[in-house]
Amino acid sequence: MRSGAAWGSALVVVLLPWLAASLSAAEKLLEKRESLYNNIFIFGDGDTVTMTFGQNKRYYTESSMKLSDPGALTVDYTRLMTLGIAYPPKLERILEIGLGGGRTVSYLSAALPDTAILAVELDKEVVDLAKKYFRFKETAKLRTVVSDGRRFLMRDDDKWDVILIDAYRGPFVPFHLLTREFYTLVKSRLAPGGVVVQNIEPSTMLFDSATATLRSVFPSVDLYDGGGNVVAIGYEGPTLRQNELLARAARVQERYNLRYDLRTIAAGRRLLGRVAGKVMTDDFAPVETLRAIEQHNEKWKEHTEAPR
Amino acid sequence: MKSHSLLRGFVLFALALVLGFALMGFEMLGSRYLYPYFGGGINTWASLIATVLVALMLGYLLGGALVDRTLSPRLCGLLLIVAGGYLMSIPLWVDALFDWTLRAIGDDMAGIIFGATTLLLLPLTLMSVFTPFAVRLLLTSVSYGGRLVGVVYGISTIGNVLGTLVTVFAFMPMFGSRALTMVFAAVTIGCGAVMVLCDRFLRGAEA
Repeated sequence: MRSGAAWGSALVVVLLPWLAASLSAAEKLLEKRESLYNNIFIFGDGDTVTMTFGQNKRYYTESSMKLSDPGALTVDYTRLMTLGIAYPPKLERILEIGLGGGRTVSYLSAALPDTAILAVELDKEVVDLAKKYFRFKETAKLRTVVSDGRRFLMRDDDKWDVILIDAYRGPFVPFHLLTREFYTLVKSRLAPGGVVVQNIEPSTMLFDSATATLRSVFPSVDLYDGGGNVVAIGYEGPTLRQNELLARAARVQERYNLRYDLRTIAAGRRLLGRVAGKVMTDDFAPVETLRAIEQHNEKWKEHTEAPR
Repeated sequence: MKSHSLLRGFVLFALALVLGFALMGFEMLGSRYLYPYFGGGINTWASLIATVLVALMLGYLLGGALVDRTLSPRLCGLLLIVAGGYLMSIPLWVDALFDWTLRAIGDDMAGIIFGATTLLLLPLTLMSVFTPFAVRLLLTSVSYGGRLVGVVYGISTIGNVLGTLVTVFAFMPMFGSRALTMVFAAVTIGCGAVMVLCDRFLRGAEA
């Protein structure tokens, strides 16, 4: 009856030799840690350090950094996520759910020295490894909390100008971070004019349901194509006119002189048009099943419109 | 007389299978109720699994003690009906209770175990009362007692396996957790009703 754990360990035993064989010679395993939640691998490849979860190094990269240029955001979609700071009227407080190597919050913290940034990470080992290999440093303005993201939001009443959500565990987002109830909770923790920024993987049916769910809570959802991942930005009120967004992006860009120009990122904006998926709720959220149904790449763009 | 006892065995084996299915179905559904409040980690699973195992233990102890005293299928059926009623009521109070749990107890081990316990301990204990009842009702001679116990637990465990796999891979992608809770609870009540209504028949020769 209690076969789940046994199957899990059998799977690991079967997959490990295969995993070892799949590593290319140039990449060196610097450290492997088994935490309560993940098998975490840190790989070094000359100038690059990579954090991966689970068994499949190629697909489930959580974070990556160039040693010679640690300030660079090497993963495309993480640059897009920084656009969240162009939307709100003020930038006093930013929350991130899902730390990874901490590159995105480190970048934002360096660029916005007066903004208080808090990263909520489920896995204490991830925080440790981010500090050890990814030059992640906690400061008075950049702090971490070890907690499940939803649990944190339930217990903490603070309001945030931007909430960044990137809580992948290998290929999966835990279902309770993708439901209407969850986004409703997120919305209740946004300051006036605040935005939620969500990283979504677009190649499966889960994408349609995730965007539909976001839209069921946030009347406006903007999408940005990050080459492999899509960044969705949700907010209250009518959809911003493109001139207005570009003006805001320009204001924030000029003030903080960001390395990845917000105006360029804002220019790639698409609007979520027709909602194609089913809204996920705490009651019904078959995330694993939806994820297993693959779509043709790029199909998601058919449901978007150009901004006006 | 022979066909009578064959049919009796068949009914009790079928009930063991169905109740085993529903029991593990509830364990899997339990995770869907707990995740939003206590997180989707291994802690939640550990608490859930421990709660179910404690329920099995209590149910086996209680069932064994009761059946020796009463040999009453009706009593076992009534306990199953109470279990089903409790499970059916879960969607009515679960959110309020877990909200309160987070505020009053917190979200660490004590909170999760409290949550899993209030959700499942009572009904799953009452459901697992069935197994010793089935063994005792079918046992007319010690000479095949070992095989009988083996078959009853074997069938019940096959029900557990099916309940785990079919619930997660087939039912959850199609139906909401609340709807599934209602269906499984109704099935449990149905099993209890069979035992109450067929009390004389299930007592068999020893009535």
